[in-house]
Amino acid sequence: MFSPASSMITDILQLHLAIPEASVERFWQQQPSPFSANGIRWTASLNQICLDALLPWIQEVHASKARVWKNPASLSSIWEVVNGSAIDFDHQRLVIIPTAAADFEELRVPQEWADLPSWAGDYYVSVYVNPDDQEIRVLGYVTHHMLKQRGQYDAYDRTYSLEADCLIGDFNVLWTARRLCADEVRRAEIAPLPALSLEQADSLIHRLADASILAPRLAVPFQQWGALLEHDGWRQRLYQRRLGLPEAWSVQQWLQTGISDLAQQLGWGTMDLQPNLARGANGAARVLVRQLTIAGKLYEFCVFQQSEEVWRFELQSASIGGLIPGGFKLRLLTEDLMPFENNEDIATSAIEQLYLEVCLSPGDALTWEIEPLPDSYEREILRF
Amino acid sequence: MRPRRSILELFSTFLQFENDAARDWLSDARLRRSMQANLDCSAGFQGNQSEQIEPTETFWALYWHKLWQTKENPLASGHLAAYLQEVCYWSAQKLALNLSTRSSLADFFQIAIAKLDRVLAGFNPQHSSGLRSYASLAFSNVIKDTLRLRQEVDICTDWALLHKLSCKRFVESLQNFGFNATTIASYRLAWECFKLIHAPTDGKIRKLGKPDAATFAAIAQQYNRDRISTLDPSSPPTTPVLVEQWLISCGKAARSLLYPMLVSADASKSGQESGELLDDLEFTFQESSLMKVIAQEEEKNRDDQRSQLNAILLRSLVKLDLPSQRLLQLYYGQGLTQQDIAKQLDMKQYTVSRRLTSLRQGLLDTLGKWSQTTLHKSLDSNVVQTMSTILEDWLKVHYAHPDLPS
Repeated sequence: MFSPASSMITDILQLHLAIPEASVERFWQQQPSPFSANGIRWTASLNQICLDALLPWIQEVHASKARVWKNPASLSSIWEVVNGSAIDFDHQRLVIIPTAAADFEELRVPQEWADLPSWAGDYYVSVYVNPDDQEIRVLGYVTHHMLKQRGQYDAYDRTYSLEADCLIGDFNVLWTARRLCADEVRRAEIAPLPALSLEQADSLIHRLADASILAPRLAVPFQQWGALLEHDGWRQRLYQRRLGLPEAWSVQQWLQTGISDLAQQLGWGTMDLQPNLARGANGAARVLVRQLTIAGKLYEFCVFQQSEEVWRFELQSASIGGLIPGGFKLRLLTEDLMPFENNEDIATSAIEQLYLEVCLSPGDALTWEIEPLPDSYEREILRF
Repeated sequence: MRPRRSILELFSTFLQFENDAARDWLSDARLRRSMQANLDCSAGFQGNQSEQIEPTETFWALYWHKLWQTKENPLASGHLAAYLQEVCYWSAQKLALNLSTRSSLADFFQIAIAKLDRVLAGFNPQHSSGLRSYASLAFSNVIKDTLRLRQEVDICTDWALLHKLSCKRFVESLQNFGFNATTIASYRLAWECFKLIHAPTDGKIRKLGKPDAATFAAIAQQYNRDRISTLDPSSPPTTPVLVEQWLISCGKAARSLLYPMLVSADASKSGQESGELLDDLEFTFQESSLMKVIAQEEEKNRDDQRSQLNAILLRSLVKLDLPSQRLLQLYYGQGLTQQDIAKQLDMKQYTVSRRLTSLRQGLLDTLGKWSQTTLHKSLDSNVVQTMSTILEDWLKVHYAHPDLPS
């Protein structure tokens, strides 16, 4: 009885949502501009508006645990280089592509959102943002599978575009389908990108740090660009260089002059210990602490200097007497994600603490990861 | 406007406008010959059958729609354009009376009929209540959407307008204006540079002003930088003055796409691309297609799923509270826009939108579950999308004729 039918986009009721006033104000108050060009900032504002208008609606009506993909503090590093945002809920991802185009004729998805394995979503929704009338309109959506199948790839700006008639115009369909067709294939296969070496990454960042290159995403081959972008730490560094911001990830600086704003926003803080409680052999008095939420529980990730050369990394529960469940893993990797000897501690059963001790020289850099993944996890490159 | 009398006329004549009123029907010779030939063949075909049924206009509409879908006959779109003349006329007239704009009835008619292909593509003979009723709603939507866009464009500055175009429309408007591919490529690059460099800095866009000299210089510089990698390496560099001219041309082209020159409504597109070779084809009666149409019609009549669906939806509607029923009545029954409803009920437009969305979500869920349990149908997004279309169609029919069973 039922077969696929196309429908005229305006045939179907579109969801309109109000833009919260505070959202717009907060965004435009930021001084100096956190973006390297006015047009980039404008597009970023459309993204912020979409998140602020759509997320509360999704939480209220469909998925109370929905949240923005990536920490809000690091969204600028994405929007500086590519249009689009994402909301995660129940192991699914909705990629939002905002547009100011009033003609509703197409959905244009930057390749990053379709072809980067860690970025791709289950759904891609086209949202018209009309700040003058303080409203957004949801124009329609497709699944990743449909996007790859029906989308036209345009090498000019590395986008997949779909005409409005190819979208599912009724946003309600997404939620009904999600409830009733759980086993539908929503994602097409995505090939992983070849890894970048540290040297390659450094050279790319050096080249693209030039803010007069307004579209760095088009300036280097996609595979290299994609691998650079997928690494949160490298993307973050590229962003800081483009904006001429000071180094934000120097652990030595954090200990001496305080934690950078960005790292604070991401959850880092310091804890001063009384001399008699000082940890480590040479009595580190100051410990770096990052709050984490893993599977609904609070944990603390601590970093401190144990001796001249040895740094200690600890993961423990934030509640007194709390334990780390069996199966948790704490792992350190080099900046370009290479393992090294004794870089991993695994909880075979519930234990008080996971810890690693590593010899580091000044200038060395490490990234950390934890399994299961903490909420809003982003790869960070700590420089010692 | 006198009614058309014969099936031959229905599928081969076009409205002729004079002073914004439909004056008479003009026959298109080519379509007339084609339709006559088809009628003759069909009579012969019918003559061989045991029971004789004269094909109705609905039959012919489905027949041509089928041929339009399968692209078997290049004249199909012309025949359907002829067939849908009144429907288009009434949709245009209704909106011309209700909406206070400076556009005329003939203008509305032209907007709507120009999108015939989209309307035909959206029509699904298996699910819709009929081509005429589907087209009537679709034409209204086309007109309303164009008016919405015109309204938006009218209050935008030229510079804001450039931000308010999709890439697809941007390129289309330049093509429509007669620019060649090389020029379009240059303009597109200039446009991309413009959008990156010149944008609002206060959150609003409609009043975006003209870039200053330094900004034009920056745009030109960016263009010259990206030119080598993006365009033909031999393409010449630009200057700030030139960039300004280009962008102004782009704005003009975009505006003119929205206000096309009125062409006479009776000029059907049908004959344009057909050459001598097509002559054989056009007079062949596609017997197999007619058989399919008949089979589909019969299936539809036998189909008791429609009445089941009817019962399910009616039961769900009855359960809704009065304000919800009223909202659906206003939207589907009276065909008001969300904006009109908001005004009438003294609500914000997005409140109306949220409520309508949530009401339809409930009905769509019900329909989905019913199909899963009753029809043992495995669902996917495409199927749910079709159900959404059926639901939309059903609601419109239901509220348009509240006394009749849908």
